[in-house]
Amino acid sequence: MGSRNAKIWVGLVGACIVFGVGYVAIAALGPDETTTDARPRAGAVLARTDLMVRAVDPKNPRLNGNVFVVDDGKVERGSRDLACERVYYAGGEGICMALGSSGVDYSATIFDSSFQAQHEIGLTGLPSRARVSADGRYGAMTVFVSGDSYQTSPTAFSTRTTIVEMKTGKQLGQLEQFGVTKDGKPFDAVDFNFWGVTFAKDPNRFYATLGTGGDHYLVEGDVPARSLRVLRDGVECPSLSPDNTQIAYKSRLGDGERWRLHVLDVATLEDHPVAESKSIDDQVEWLDDDTLAYSDETNVYTVPADGSGEAKLLLRDATSPVRLQAPTRG
Amino acid sequence: MYQVEASKALLKPRLWARGSARLRVPRNVVMLGMVSLLTDISSEMVATVLPMYLIFSLGASPLVFGAIDGTYRGAAAVVQVLSGFSSDRWRRHKEVAGLGYGLSAIGKVALVAAGNTIGGIGAIVAVDRIGKGIRTAPRDALISLSSAKDKLATSFGVHRAMDSIGAMLGPLIAFAILFLAPARFDAVFVVSTIFAVLGLAVLILNVEGKPRRAPREGTPPRVRAALGLLKDRSFAPLLAAAAGLSIASVSDALIYVGLQRTIDFEPAIFPLLYVMTAISFMALAIPAGQLADRVGKVPVLLAGHALLFIVYAVLLLTSVGYLLLIVCLLALGGYFAATEGVMTALAGAILPEKLQASGIGILITVVSLGRLLSSVAFGGLWFALGLQEAVLIFAGALFVAMVVATPLLLRAQRTPLHG
Repeated sequence: MGSRNAKIWVGLVGACIVFGVGYVAIAALGPDETTTDARPRAGAVLARTDLMVRAVDPKNPRLNGNVFVVDDGKVERGSRDLACERVYYAGGEGICMALGSSGVDYSATIFDSSFQAQHEIGLTGLPSRARVSADGRYGAMTVFVSGDSYQTSPTAFSTRTTIVEMKTGKQLGQLEQFGVTKDGKPFDAVDFNFWGVTFAKDPNRFYATLGTGGDHYLVEGDVPARSLRVLRDGVECPSLSPDNTQIAYKSRLGDGERWRLHVLDVATLEDHPVAESKSIDDQVEWLDDDTLAYSDETNVYTVPADGSGEAKLLLRDATSPVRLQAPTRG
Repeated sequence: MYQVEASKALLKPRLWARGSARLRVPRNVVMLGMVSLLTDISSEMVATVLPMYLIFSLGASPLVFGAIDGTYRGAAAVVQVLSGFSSDRWRRHKEVAGLGYGLSAIGKVALVAAGNTIGGIGAIVAVDRIGKGIRTAPRDALISLSSAKDKLATSFGVHRAMDSIGAMLGPLIAFAILFLAPARFDAVFVVSTIFAVLGLAVLILNVEGKPRRAPREGTPPRVRAALGLLKDRSFAPLLAAAAGLSIASVSDALIYVGLQRTIDFEPAIFPLLYVMTAISFMALAIPAGQLADRVGKVPVLLAGHALLFIVYAVLLLTSVGYLLLIVCLLALGGYFAATEGVMTALAGAILPEKLQASGIGILITVVSLGRLLSSVAFGGLWFALGLQEAVLIFAGALFVAMVVATPLLLRAQRTPLHG
């Protein structure tokens, strides 16, 4: 079998090297497709809203991520340099979570009101959620962290949420290091995961999700005290309304990865569904105290917060809607 | 940092092996090691980039796969026993293993062709898991049947070391491709497919399907014979010992989480914990196997489990420096090196030739069920009592398991089966 096998091997390995190296070389040296005509297109209800969004190109996902600003119904490219997986902006400070220059790691860029990069923060996982407090003091970033798959499951994920001081780019801590209480007693478990921070008007206060053992708790946090308190179950990716009286969130359907959008009253913790009937995996943005905006990873929609009406298309080919507040513009 | 550490480590076992003239393992074992090395490069390349690919191209959260994975790991346990028995029954270990490797290779091709929907990728992940479940028992049986009984542990050590080299190379190759061609996940999938095909080719062209200890005559074993292993005088004690020891051993994933809580180190260091453990495992797998062949498998197995006490002790400390952390991870790697492969070698030594794959399939399934139980129990104790208390209870349980397992293992080793 020796000489016949040897010939087969020479042929096979030769073909593999030529094909593999050739494919990678063409991929590496081929024309760099950085230009795209993909831009978000306005839906019917756009005119009254000022937004920042992340563009997606349905034909070529490699061109996703350009940041656009929607001003008086006109859609304009916000920045030539920023391409983000997640973007948020408030109080003159923005977070852009994106693939780093090495092509294999992620980083967050903190940018100012003219889209100039101020700080660069290395991320230890895949971008999931980004939020900035209304006054631009704090930012919060959630990433997915996977263990190396050595003898563990490659698909076992946890999340990690970091609070940042936007002006300095300093990382103030991870929610995993904060003390948690439930019903007044200390609460801890091996599988604690935190995600989806939303800041209150007082930026030291925030809400987030704590996932543990199949439960998804709404927690209220305090940045300087580094503490968290469990409020209720069944709330993921909370988003506080501008007047701080309501929280929009994802309510999980059964055990699967499917959600309905709900809104709860902060005072009573009672909730109701909104009129969107699709499963949505996004942290909702409030356009005003009565209206939600969110994306299905393709388009941005809007729906009334009180459960009435119906979901309407706001922007095509866009995700990560961010309401631009009047005082911080221009 | 990750890359440099890992590539340095890769040279270590190879140089060591070259330097040692006495390391003689059958060609078939090296070839099976080569199959695993290439296949692991292929699967780890995909495993490394799949989460990035999901977010980048599909905007999907990687959490969608949590549920899929749990389901198919359960299915894999059943598949292991079935594929083990079928390969004994048909006397076609190589062909059944080939089916498993083939399924994974097809999965990689499918990823290139149709990997742009969540459902598609989920199905591909599932096929990959099932392929892994199918191939493990017949492959280990082939390793066992290719070796002389007094060299079994060394053979498994060589195979496991090669296997882990592949697991280290995979992410490095994937990162190198993405570095050269940013965001070209298709290039990663194409190269991964090539490695999968090469692995399958080594199996088909260079692995002997009927190695020297393989049964050639006599009646094919019946289901009853395979089930009889469960109450066999020497295999049943081995299963009982393996179950007890695996239940009392905290899984490495939970150990890493525990270390992270105990030591306030930078999150960026977290991946390095795996790398350190893998390096230690890679370097120690062959020496541990040789030692087991020289002084006996039972003492090495017990010493390997005793290394866990070092890990547990570090988890109990309130302040741990980096030196102690490294000692802890070296001990964890040594524990892996001295246990899984050596336990399989022990099973290979006492199982009759015609029931090798069935027995190994049952052993793997028992151990993985034990690990599952251990993880659930440890998580529950941590939640109810706290980390330190959970570790203390597990240290006590490990001591008891070792005391009980010692006579069981000695009994298993003393009376080889003649089935």
